[in-house]
Amino acid sequence: MKIKLCSVMVDDQKKALRFYTEILGFVKKREIPMGEHAWLTVVSPEEQDGTEVVLEPMGFPPARVFQKELYESGIPWTAFQVDDIVKEYERLKGLGVVFRMEPTSMGPTTLAVLDDTCGNNIQIYQVR
Amino acid sequence: MAGGGAEEMTYYEQEVRRLAASVYPRGELTRQVIAAKEYIDTHFAESLGLGKVAQRAMISKFHFLRLFKLHYGVTPHQYLTTVRLREARRLLLEGTPVAEVCTAVGFDSVSSFKGLFKRYWGATPASWKKSNFRDRAGGKV
Repeated sequence: MKIKLCSVMVDDQKKALRFYTEILGFVKKREIPMGEHAWLTVVSPEEQDGTEVVLEPMGFPPARVFQKELYESGIPWTAFQVDDIVKEYERLKGLGVVFRMEPTSMGPTTLAVLDDTCGNNIQIYQVR
Repeated sequence: MAGGGAEEMTYYEQEVRRLAASVYPRGELTRQVIAAKEYIDTHFAESLGLGKVAQRAMISKFHFLRLFKLHYGVTPHQYLTTVRLREARRLLLEGTPVAEVCTAVGFDSVSSFKGLFKRYWGATPASWKKSNFRDRAGGKV
C-alpha cells in the first residue's frame, strides 16, 4: 500500500488550478474530464513522481460546513514543506497571497498559513 | 517573527503559540539542538558518537538525548542513520558501488549497512540500485 494522493476540496477547479500552479508553483499532473468536473491533480516540480494533490470539487454539501469551520478557525487543510520559509513567504506575499498566520516558530519548525482563495487555509513549513 | 495581538489571531495561531511556549519554552536550547542536528547533517560521514554531538550543542549527553528526541521525535543516532541512508541512496543513484557507498556515508560494516538499508528502504542496496539506477539511466545499468 502506498500514499500517492492527498485531497484538497476546492470551490472552483479552474480557479484552484491557476492558484496551485501559477502562484504556489506546482505543475499539473492529470486532468481527466469527469462530467461537470475533472480528476485534476498537481505535483511539486521537485518531485514529479511524488504524491499528487487532488484538487477535488466541493460536490458534497455537508463538506462545505466542515471546510468553512476549518477556514474560520484558521486551521490548515493540509501542509506543504518548503526549504526556506522566509523566502517563500516573501515570494508569495509579492504575488498578492494573503497570509492568515505569518511565519511563526515552533521549536525547530517554522509555520505560516496562507489562504488558497478556494476556501482553504494551507500551511507551509520549514524544519531546521 | 511577526504576529499581531491575540484579538487578530485565528484560533489556530493561538494554539500554535500556546503549544510552542509550553513544549519549547527555552529558545536558546532549541537553537543549540538545531545546531547539533545541522552538525550531523554535514558531518554524517565521520565517526559521530553521542558525546561528540552533545559537545557541539554544549549540553550534557543525557540532557541532549532527551532534548533531541523532544525536538525531532527520534534519537540522534536514529537521525544520523536516516541521514546516512538517504545519502546512500543518492550515491547509489550516481552509480557508486555498494561497498564504496557504505564507507562514504560513515558505516563501518557492509553487512550492517545492507541490513539497515533493507529495513529502511525495503530492498537491499544492490536490488534498490538495480531498479532505480536503471530508471535514471534510461533502462541501462
